[in-house]
Amino acid sequence: MSCHQYENMHSRREFLQKTGLGLGAGALAHLLGGCASTSTADDPHINGLAGLPHFAPKAKRVICLFQSGGPSHLDLYDPKPELERQFDKDLPDSIRRGQRITGMVASQTRLACQPTRFKFARHGQSGGEFSELLPHISGIADDICVIRSMHTEAINHDPAITFFQTGSQLPGRPSMGAWTDYGLGRMNDNLPSFVVLISVNKEKSGQGLLARLWGSGFLPSAHQGVQFRGAGEPVLYLRDPEGLTRDQRKVMLEGVNELNRLNLATAGDPEISARISQAEMAYRMQASVPELMDLKGETKAVMDSYGPDVNTPGSFARNALLARRLAEKGVRFIQLYHRDWDHHGSLQDMLPKMTRDVDQPAAALVKDLKQRGMLDDTLVIWGGEFGRTPYAQGGANREKYGRDHHGKAFSIWMAGGGIKPGMTYGSTDDFGFNTLENPVHIHDLQATILHCLGINHERLTYRFQGRQFRLTDVHGRVVRDILA
Amino acid sequence: MACGLSAEDLRFNRDIRPILSENCFFCHGQDPKHREAKLRLDIRAEALMEHDSGFAIVPGHQEKSEILKRLLTHNPDDQMPPPESNRKVTPAQIELIRRWIAQGAPYEKHWSFVPPEKAPAPKLSDASWARQPFDRYVLAKLEAEKLKPSAEAKPATWLRRAAFDLTGLPPTPTEITAFESDASQRGEAAYAAAADHLLASPRFGERLAQDWLDVARYADTHGFNNDSARSMWRWRDWVIESFNANLPFDRFITEQLAGDLLPSPTPDQRLATAFNRNHVINSEGGIIDEEYRVEYVADRVRTTSTALLGLTTECARCHDHKFDPITQKDYYRMFAFFNNVLEYGEDGRIANAVPLLATPTREQQAELKRMDEAIAALDRKIAALKTDALGPAGLRERLAAEDAKLLPKSLKPAKPTEARILAKEAGIDAKRGTTLSVWFKASSSTADSPILSALDRSGNPAGVGYGNGRELRLVDGEIEWTASQRHPAYATIIRTIGANIGPGTWHQVAVHIQGKENAATIALFVDGEEVPTQTRHDGVSGAPANRDWLLGSDGKAKPFDGEVTGFRTYPSILKPEQVRQAFWLQSADKISEPQRKAADLRTLRRHIGSTQALQTERDTLWTQRLATVRNLPTTMVMEEMPVVRQAYVLNRGQYDAHGEKVEAGVPEELIAPWPKNAPKNRLGLAQWFLQPQHPLTARVVVNRFWAQLFGVGLVKSVEDFGTQGEWPSHPEVLDTLARDFVDGGWNVKGFFKSVVLSSTYRQTSDASPELYARDPENRLLARGPRVRLTSEQIRDQALAVSGLLAEKIGGPSVRPYQPESLYKGIVVDAPYPSTTWDLGKGDELYRRSLYTFWKRTVPHPAMLTFDSPDREFCSARRSRTNTPLQALVLWNETGYLESSRKLGERMLKEGGADDASRTTFAFRLATGRMPRAEESAVLTRTYAKLRADFTARPDDAAKLIKVGASVPDPALSAVELAAAAGVANMILTLDETITKN
Repeated sequence: MSCHQYENMHSRREFLQKTGLGLGAGALAHLLGGCASTSTADDPHINGLAGLPHFAPKAKRVICLFQSGGPSHLDLYDPKPELERQFDKDLPDSIRRGQRITGMVASQTRLACQPTRFKFARHGQSGGEFSELLPHISGIADDICVIRSMHTEAINHDPAITFFQTGSQLPGRPSMGAWTDYGLGRMNDNLPSFVVLISVNKEKSGQGLLARLWGSGFLPSAHQGVQFRGAGEPVLYLRDPEGLTRDQRKVMLEGVNELNRLNLATAGDPEISARISQAEMAYRMQASVPELMDLKGETKAVMDSYGPDVNTPGSFARNALLARRLAEKGVRFIQLYHRDWDHHGSLQDMLPKMTRDVDQPAAALVKDLKQRGMLDDTLVIWGGEFGRTPYAQGGANREKYGRDHHGKAFSIWMAGGGIKPGMTYGSTDDFGFNTLENPVHIHDLQATILHCLGINHERLTYRFQGRQFRLTDVHGRVVRDILA
Repeated sequence: MACGLSAEDLRFNRDIRPILSENCFFCHGQDPKHREAKLRLDIRAEALMEHDSGFAIVPGHQEKSEILKRLLTHNPDDQMPPPESNRKVTPAQIELIRRWIAQGAPYEKHWSFVPPEKAPAPKLSDASWARQPFDRYVLAKLEAEKLKPSAEAKPATWLRRAAFDLTGLPPTPTEITAFESDASQRGEAAYAAAADHLLASPRFGERLAQDWLDVARYADTHGFNNDSARSMWRWRDWVIESFNANLPFDRFITEQLAGDLLPSPTPDQRLATAFNRNHVINSEGGIIDEEYRVEYVADRVRTTSTALLGLTTECARCHDHKFDPITQKDYYRMFAFFNNVLEYGEDGRIANAVPLLATPTREQQAELKRMDEAIAALDRKIAALKTDALGPAGLRERLAAEDAKLLPKSLKPAKPTEARILAKEAGIDAKRGTTLSVWFKASSSTADSPILSALDRSGNPAGVGYGNGRELRLVDGEIEWTASQRHPAYATIIRTIGANIGPGTWHQVAVHIQGKENAATIALFVDGEEVPTQTRHDGVSGAPANRDWLLGSDGKAKPFDGEVTGFRTYPSILKPEQVRQAFWLQSADKISEPQRKAADLRTLRRHIGSTQALQTERDTLWTQRLATVRNLPTTMVMEEMPVVRQAYVLNRGQYDAHGEKVEAGVPEELIAPWPKNAPKNRLGLAQWFLQPQHPLTARVVVNRFWAQLFGVGLVKSVEDFGTQGEWPSHPEVLDTLARDFVDGGWNVKGFFKSVVLSSTYRQTSDASPELYARDPENRLLARGPRVRLTSEQIRDQALAVSGLLAEKIGGPSVRPYQPESLYKGIVVDAPYPSTTWDLGKGDELYRRSLYTFWKRTVPHPAMLTFDSPDREFCSARRSRTNTPLQALVLWNETGYLESSRKLGERMLKEGGADDASRTTFAFRLATGRMPRAEESAVLTRTYAKLRADFTARPDDAAKLIKVGASVPDPALSAVELAAAAGVANMILTLDETITKN
């Protein structure tokens, strides 16, 4: 290859990266009956990086069901009978090992062991153990892989969530969805490839979320996630103003594009043709997004399977169903958030409210994907930023208790897209405080997610401020034991 | 572009170092912990030493140089870089290394670490094109590339380009016409005059501020998941004023880095230091203070390094820098400069974090001055009036008896036992309002001792409930009041100014406790008169606990050095005259003869006809002044602690892993020597950055300015001038500009003037597709800049051409249109300031975008869509994307729709009678030029179609024109206006409209 060719390729790639949701001008012009001034290949992986995926992917897409606040592994996925025996006794120093604790319990004179008040049982052929709060998720025990040995350094929400989503505790890095969009590009021509759905809880909402969690960090901002909303406009600024018809918008768009093409002939800047195609895609999104949000085509059986909340826009159930629809339409990374898992007190009341919101829809989503033959190439992840302490915040109590943040050990589950089904992976000590077997760090999880998408996490990099950055920093190892 | 170089062209810094840096230094660089095979390639002497497998580099002998063998081999055991590193050296790069070794493998110090010098004038076949000295280097490069400069842009095009670059707004058609005529008559002089005019516009400061606010990570909220509001806009206004006043850039930087350390700093100089407090601050309950305090210091290092050194020092936070010769110790020596602030990791839940400063606006400053002068004048008049000594005999006693009726019954606490008073007998109720008063006499020191305390100091200071309660202290002769839920993060602490209390005399303090108990509601009275206060901290976010009061003790430190007595509370807010009387009545046995005489005199004056009116006027004025002072906006600033906090190397960058002790310092050998006699503090650091021979500061700054004008820097990696950064496209241009900038007194306006008048800048950006393909980013400068406008400029232009723009400069940030449900499901579920977006009123909807309230965790979506950064960290370069969401914003965002409709109104009222002239009118407003015939045809055709549509659907026309807060002109037909608004929206959406060309 001559240097000149290299330069051209380089610039084309830069050009394509800048156009984010861009679609080949040719295809769009065809759609609108116009003609394109410059044409880029109508490549389904348009503007992904050359050489990606690095190897054949198991998963084409990801649905991440993020449970913000820190769900208690000890009350959901990781039963600890020892805590029952140690009720109200001090957490042994041999377990704590000098681990720092948050300011919430810094004034407590004791760290007293707190057992769960919820019953656990084995489910499915795989015999995975689940709390009674998860009647539906326990029903898909044979489809999912529960990891009990997750761990993170962060002990507070903001850094921990940011770490989970971007690989760094501090702001400034691209989110997982932005990385995959940057690396793999788009699979559809009328929707964004990284979509965010935020559930609005019935009661309160808890800790704040941050746009950076789906931000693009130092990557071009075209890679940031696009939020689809339950209330108001499904995508900000999507709807034409009242009084303007779709035909009028089309006439105006055609006029603008014609003027832009005339300008292109004089100015010569290829950015103008990119602008034309982006406007055309915007016009198509105005139709495709409302179609996607409209559930008329869903059968009653499917609707019912997600539970009664599915009829409430903005609920987790509705968003789970929308996630499946987005997955069908070729959206690459679908990020859901459900908030208020931060149960410092009254866990016994609050946690059941959370699982009531989430348990049935999450299980329904996995089953729905499976039934449609999509689970094999869709990676589903359920989890939060950390777990909760085996010691009580306040005093130990059989009935009413709370738990503080805990990053040394917690549980998540994954399903589909290249992950072994019906498996429980890793373990924690008798107190659920430290990981014991097969610890999985957040960076390991991220490496594994990228691996399922056919990406070598060490090779998806971006040069910024003189350094090659990647999602997993200089860490991360693919958890091969859980790969199908 | 390294290929095709002839032998004499080869340069280590440009051609070889980037290859070694990218592929070799990670394992063979300066970090000893990661050095493989003891081989170091970044220093020539080391690279030439013998190692186990021979010599890596033998100058002049490629065949003996191991490095080449390793690069060329296919044996994975020997291959370099190792296959698993995912690094690859291309055959062309290997060829460069071969030739470099053949030429003797010369090294150079990295280019950016050598001070800039002007290069000799280049040889040119025809230099007449050049207007500025640097144009010659641009031309020389073009000649070398066998390119010609593009033609000069039309005067109107240049004016629009320069107006956006210098004011952020488009020129009006009148200004364009005037300039076209002036340019045709006066030529160059017209350009210079136009540049001067734009530079003199107060809009210049707003334009320049935009980029500096990115660098300084300015925002109106603290960040992190509580993300409540902060007040830093006074600093933002200082930035605008400074650019407008053309404050020399070295002073601009010095005052921001160290204004507080200048001799007798002015309030503005202290305000400037807010630069280093713009970082994010975390108020999440339960975080570990030190962890975040360290982050804030690290953020200052990062920001300062990026802003002035253009170096990524961040890598050296955890280990020696892999690529640039900055060690971990260097990093923590830099860190030590910023480590000496009395601040807390957890702060800022509801307001500014400490330390903070009252920062009156210019109007408030004038108002205070006016009041002070009026008070002084009244005092002079009062003093001149005869008051007949102390009045008739017995007056004092009579007044005392009358005034006693003024006072409500106080709640006298039970007799203190062991200095304890029960709270239930002297409860504070801020909702109802409570006045507290107490007497004290310090025996010797007034440095710091507790007068009254109900602040809970039991438990672990790291705990979330530590320090709940209220407290009154004597600190350095001033009275300090604290109301706290958690000390100090969620406390309000105010201190008197000018009470000047000395030892040996009795004094009375009274406190008004009411409302939210924040700084604006608390008032302190000393000896019956209210005293102005300064806010030390204003974070209390709920009622402190009512606890037992300790007299003369805080339960921890030394008890009060002297006597405390006469504690009482009143179940209401006493009026100023009541406080005065309480003091007067209780003072009999306590105050000295001169004190009593003064107090008596003040009291009598309020009762003697001849002075009553004057005294009342003075009292009123004084009360107004106190209220003004209590409500001044505060700003977070830098303030040194009296005793320097010891800094350490932090192992692996961890806040609690203290390594070696370090003192403040800079990488002198690498970058520049420490200036003689410079103090080892931030002021010295500023002097170090700004010394004339500093190799980086001026280059980094002018490069960023250049990028503002051309869309890309001469060094493309504006944030990285290190060995991993990009080689400058025109090193001679960069160095000439940097040298002139420094030698010319850091003259910012001078810099911009010289560049916008240059031939390089004045080229047209119209170019052939071939030139765009060959040089997509215009690195060769064979054409003028063509760059999409920033998010701010796109909106500001829409407001300006539609006539909506409100031109007020500065003030608190405003909230223009934003989708209503934006925060739903995202922001914290607590009533902290800035968890709601209260839509602005009137002009607030139409201010320049620079003033839009910047909420870090959920920034304005239209601004994000057009690539505004989130301002969580220093950002020296914005991405420039082109997405469908941008089209949606321009089509459907309320503000753009309102601007479209207002522009439509202008078309109908000012654009002439027919469609052609109306569309021409709007097109020219937005693009700065007349439409060509075929463009006009498209616009009039669409206009007619829209009119026909709306004529058939008049109800829809009426709906369309309703958008926005401004009311459509009722004299206009809805159908006509809707059609015109549609055309206006098209024009505002054009690529050319949102592009500087």
